[in-house]
Amino acid sequence: MAEWYTNEGKDNDVVLSTKACIVRNIKGYNFMPRLDDKECQSLLETVDNAVDKSIYNGGNAADFDNETVLRLTRLQILGREASQLVEPERKAFYYNDDASLSITVGCGEHLTVKAMKQGHDIGVYKTAEKEALNLESKLDIAFSENYGFLTSNVRLAGTGLKILYTVSLPAISKTEGGIAALTQRVSQYEWTIYPFADRGEIADSDVYIIASVNTLGVTEDELLKRGEMLITDVIKAERACREEIATSKKEQSADIYGRSYGTLRYAGMISRSEALQALGWIRLYHDYDDSGEIKLSWNTLDKITMDILWEPGAPSRKSSQSAASQKYRANGIRNILKGDE
Amino acid sequence: MRCERCGKELTNRIIKINGVTYCDNCARLMGYDRFLREPSDLMGNPFAPLDQIASSLMQMSELDFGNSTLTCPKCGMTLREFENEGRVGCIECYNTFNENIIREMFKQQGNSEYAGRLPAQSADTDAETKEIPQIKKTAKPGIETVKMDPSANKATGKEETKAASVKEEEKGGLTIEQLAKADLGMLSDDDLEKGIKIAAEAEEYKLASRLRDELKGRKDGGNNG
Repeated sequence: MAEWYTNEGKDNDVVLSTKACIVRNIKGYNFMPRLDDKECQSLLETVDNAVDKSIYNGGNAADFDNETVLRLTRLQILGREASQLVEPERKAFYYNDDASLSITVGCGEHLTVKAMKQGHDIGVYKTAEKEALNLESKLDIAFSENYGFLTSNVRLAGTGLKILYTVSLPAISKTEGGIAALTQRVSQYEWTIYPFADRGEIADSDVYIIASVNTLGVTEDELLKRGEMLITDVIKAERACREEIATSKKEQSADIYGRSYGTLRYAGMISRSEALQALGWIRLYHDYDDSGEIKLSWNTLDKITMDILWEPGAPSRKSSQSAASQKYRANGIRNILKGDE
Repeated sequence: MRCERCGKELTNRIIKINGVTYCDNCARLMGYDRFLREPSDLMGNPFAPLDQIASSLMQMSELDFGNSTLTCPKCGMTLREFENEGRVGCIECYNTFNENIIREMFKQQGNSEYAGRLPAQSADTDAETKEIPQIKKTAKPGIETVKMDPSANKATGKEETKAASVKEEEKGGLTIEQLAKADLGMLSDDDLEKGIKIAAEAEEYKLASRLRDELKGRKDGGNNG
């Protein structure tokens, strides 16, 4: 089956992906920071018995080979630094065929159910909830009437739910004061926005994460509706900025668009940052190119963007800037673009 | 934005001290009066710095250092560890560090009451994704409700909030349907007042009370600090 992020999603000119994460802990076990190895093994076995093997692949992370780790990183189940694989014997990862639905054990909280879809699709919540309900019916979940679902990280206590939209905003980023105005708008919804970069990394793209904050004082329904209103605003604003730039500076935009495509299509070596900048310009002008000479679908553009964003290793790492990795990256992009022509 | 000490919505000025955001009231309680003073206050009271030192000393005597060794009887986590890491070790920690946890929740979310679903019960939600039509394909001039103007700010050199401002248009002529679906936080005070009248006239009392609560909340919030 095709990997989840290669499917065609709604509004995928702006929204790369929508994710819903639900965290849960099991009664009778300390939370992860205070769970000893023996208890941890018992926790892993308990969860393993509750996971439906007819749906999920994977298992204990200690059994994963290097290739699986790289694949799961690219599929956005593991973090890019694979830091979640510190102490792999204390972790387990289960994922369905296209990796759009996963259950992570032992990363921060006992259980993290994550559903992901390409583009803009709040249906991810129901997918994640269905699996969370299944686990809640089989396991004794830590819950309090006052605080809701109890978590080690008290900022997640309550619904234990996070919704994340990954968005590419080249036009708002290029608009003076655009990101500041957007940040203000996002905070009015009590959500947050931050650049796509892990801790200690330098943000090197115009890709941002828009994420929910509240897990208390708000129902799941209110949170989802608020998120949908917010993301609708963001999509409209980004498109309006693209239109403004593409029409007011048509010649310059068309020129950079063509050059960017040429660079990606024919470069023999390309850095992560250069590739992401080029992709941003292509995204900005894509719908305004009347020449018809460049044939590139949104789906392909999104796939390349996510492949680069989720390359294992941070952009600050020397390995991702080495000649070999630049050649590897350029070759991968060329092959995808060639296939789309 | 919220005060990181009490969690209240910041409606007046924002005071940032050592990277922490406070409301007026908390800044005053923390002994940061000097940040609240207008230059004219100092002119009027040349002994202001002395007042401030005295106030800080008073505050220090009220600080409670006794709880820093508080320990969870089940997992052995101390209050200091919790405060450093923001994580607790077990369910019992929620009882042991109850006050500190509530404070932490307020800091982040301005709330500590659970409103979500129960275990093994589905959340009642009908939220769905509606595809937003592309501007180029379907938009007509003047229809788009959100616009960020990239050129305006460069031309005028004004503050960032003016450039690329995200503005709602066509607010006039509010209907019950619009009010029911609206994010109340996005409506102006005037719109809320109009909305209350419209909802009351339509005998939509539940909606009217939501609007009234929102307006009241703003007014109450405006008096804080």
